[in-house]
Amino acid sequence: MNTLKRLYKQRQLQLMVLPGIIFMIIFNYIPIYGIITAFKRYTIVDSMSSAPWVGLENFKLIVQDSFFWESVRNTLAISLMKLFLGFAIPIFLAIMIFEVKNMRFKKIVQTISYIPHFFSWIVLGGMLISWLSTDGFFNQTLMALGLMHKGNNHLLDPSQYWWIAVLSDLWKEVGWGTILYLAGMSRIDPTLYEAARMDGATKMTQITRITIPLLAPIISLNLILNVSGLLGSNLDQTLVLMNSQNQSHAEVINSFVYRMGLTQGDFSYATAVGLGISIVSVILLVITDRITRKLNDGHSIIV
Amino acid sequence: MKKLIYGLAAIVATLGLSACGSNKDSGSNSDFSIKDRYTLNANKPAWKLDKKKKTTDITWYINSDWTALPFGKDVTTAQIKKDLNINVKFITGDDSKLNAMISGGDMPDIVTLMDKTSQAAEKANSWASSLNDLAKKYDPYFTKVANKDTMKWFSLSDGKTYGYPNYSNTKKDYESGTIPVNDNFVIREDVYDALGKPDFTTPEGFVKSLNAIKAKYPDLTPFGFTTVGDGAGPFTDKLQDFLGVPLEKKNGSFYDRNLDPEYVSWLKALNQAYRDKNIVDDSFTDDGATYDQKVKQGDYAVMLVAGTSGQGGNYTDFMKNSKTRYIAIDGPSSTSGRKATLSQTGISGWLINYITKDAKDPAKVMELFTYLIDKPGQILTKYGIEGVTYKYNDAGKIEYLPEVKALEKSDNDAYNKKYGISRFNYFNNDRMNALKAPEESALTQMQQWGKGKLYPHFVIENIKPQAGTPAARSYDQVQTKLNSTVISLIRAKDDNGFDSTLSSYRSFLKQNKWSDIEKTLTKNMKENRSKLN
Repeated sequence: MNTLKRLYKQRQLQLMVLPGIIFMIIFNYIPIYGIITAFKRYTIVDSMSSAPWVGLENFKLIVQDSFFWESVRNTLAISLMKLFLGFAIPIFLAIMIFEVKNMRFKKIVQTISYIPHFFSWIVLGGMLISWLSTDGFFNQTLMALGLMHKGNNHLLDPSQYWWIAVLSDLWKEVGWGTILYLAGMSRIDPTLYEAARMDGATKMTQITRITIPLLAPIISLNLILNVSGLLGSNLDQTLVLMNSQNQSHAEVINSFVYRMGLTQGDFSYATAVGLGISIVSVILLVITDRITRKLNDGHSIIV
Repeated sequence: MKKLIYGLAAIVATLGLSACGSNKDSGSNSDFSIKDRYTLNANKPAWKLDKKKKTTDITWYINSDWTALPFGKDVTTAQIKKDLNINVKFITGDDSKLNAMISGGDMPDIVTLMDKTSQAAEKANSWASSLNDLAKKYDPYFTKVANKDTMKWFSLSDGKTYGYPNYSNTKKDYESGTIPVNDNFVIREDVYDALGKPDFTTPEGFVKSLNAIKAKYPDLTPFGFTTVGDGAGPFTDKLQDFLGVPLEKKNGSFYDRNLDPEYVSWLKALNQAYRDKNIVDDSFTDDGATYDQKVKQGDYAVMLVAGTSGQGGNYTDFMKNSKTRYIAIDGPSSTSGRKATLSQTGISGWLINYITKDAKDPAKVMELFTYLIDKPGQILTKYGIEGVTYKYNDAGKIEYLPEVKALEKSDNDAYNKKYGISRFNYFNNDRMNALKAPEESALTQMQQWGKGKLYPHFVIENIKPQAGTPAARSYDQVQTKLNSTVISLIRAKDDNGFDSTLSSYRSFLKQNKWSDIEKTLTKNMKENRSKLN
């Protein structure tokens, strides 16, 4: 009763929330209904009610598919490599940028590192293909440095693909990844640094004792988001860089679903894979949240 | 207050659900009649008889994310608009949009699909009206102008035809010579002459001639080919066509062309050329733009080209930049005297047009179909209007007017906007090519070379297992494996590598129960044959 009274008192405020809730219901909750296509044989001429139930058949098909497991392996490998490299490097870079005192130089560094983020993979992919070709920029550089005698085409070699995918993605996104950390650092109270300097703390100590601990909430939030996205993969990048020779290492879950589900018009199959990925991702999200709580004195970042 | 919130939530929920689930009974156009408009006449198209005064609005859905063309603005579509008194509104989308329209019962008047084997096309009888019935009811003249072979080819299991395609080439078209070849083996003419017309028709000759080119022209890449992407470029069916690999076994069952011994021996020859460094790795990763650049510069001495017609611009540029040109010559051929069986767009055509059961004025839409399929409509959509875009020359052939040609060269956008020539091509056909005065271009010699080398592949057209079935998935995987196998064979480091790649492909076929898929393919070929005669 008390709650209702309070609700009534705040009715004007509550009404303002209502449009957002309705929006969520229509665009986020009602579509969840579509999940049932994963348990049906749903074709393009069907409606929800006319498609026959098939139980777990779609999931069985997926699990038996050797190409699917290959794509899971590639996705995990590429994502984990991206996580280990791509997670730490933006933090280093952000701290380095933060410590630059010359404003002009700082702006230039930031701008240059952001630029690749704004190019689409279609453009960057074309550039990479030519850079990594036999007479490309990459080989010429290596040969000029004496690290290589004879050029070869790196994209045709499946064993190199994971590195190409990870490093090119890192190069594209590293600058953009610093923004969140830079914003976090700008909010650190400068008096903390002043006090530290008074006490004779070196730059390194300031970074490890002030900057990083105060960034911890942002770092753990980013980690949670990154880990829960482990099974997501970069479709644009894959479609541009994949060829018939590196496919065994380039095919990721997204491109597999694209190939099997969408080009064949098989909605049920695609939905089933999507549902499976979502469930695993939620589990990963919860696990990382539990782990990162320790980083933040037992407080959760998301709940 | 709580009640209010629950009530609101309930309203929202029901609204949302009903929006998804409203499946109104489609195809109930029972009150529609043409009684006071015209009487049926088998010898005159209905659009000439129809006395309907009010302009008919037609929505036309194209199942591909293209930019929708404006209707009625350019010379071509303005004529259609005038003749039929219609307004066409194009909408475009993908499979999920089409699904939403079908399941929501909110269908447009015309639907254009891209794939005859898609589920939407296979089950067209659930959402489209049969053209046979519509012709009987509204426009018997249609049966006179519609191609009988095409109609039969597109009939579903109930014996009726629902969709009508463009660019459907029949056996007669293949024999008439009006359709040009689209795959060629080309060489730079200067190289060809300087080396005294070397031979490329046998595996040995091919390997030897490429070495001769490298010795004399160290700056050129001896052998190139159109882009491979994540497929196999021209190295599967196109190369097989040059070698005349049979389409079927003698008893009419499926023949695995990819394991044909002569084809495999040619792959060995290509592998030898690769090991001789006459094929370079970059050719396998180049994208379209890079390939175009290489052709314009004449980097490749010899090329295997899939889709010659798309390369015209590149060849013309190369001709302008150099004193020489690319010419088509006899390339890889059968060693046992089989004739080349080159392919072109088959009887399945390209875009397939359907009239839905929900068409508001099915008579008018049928009139439009007849209009576009009939010869005057074909000429209009391909060449425009006599006196405005073209004239007949002394030989009675169509020639574009000089100002039209000039505008095409100077401002292609304006040309398209003003004339719309060959843009409204949903029912176009290569048959009309015969009407045009021949024009000399970079492609003329190549197309000339191919005269008489086309052979219909109808029997193996669209035989892959029905989409969405486990067999279709296995088939798709085999195709993926095949593509990587063929490229790996060409790039094999030594004979051992070649043999082990080939045997791993064979065992992959076994794992994926290929023999079962072959049975399905044979069955589908049988069905095809029954629709061909």
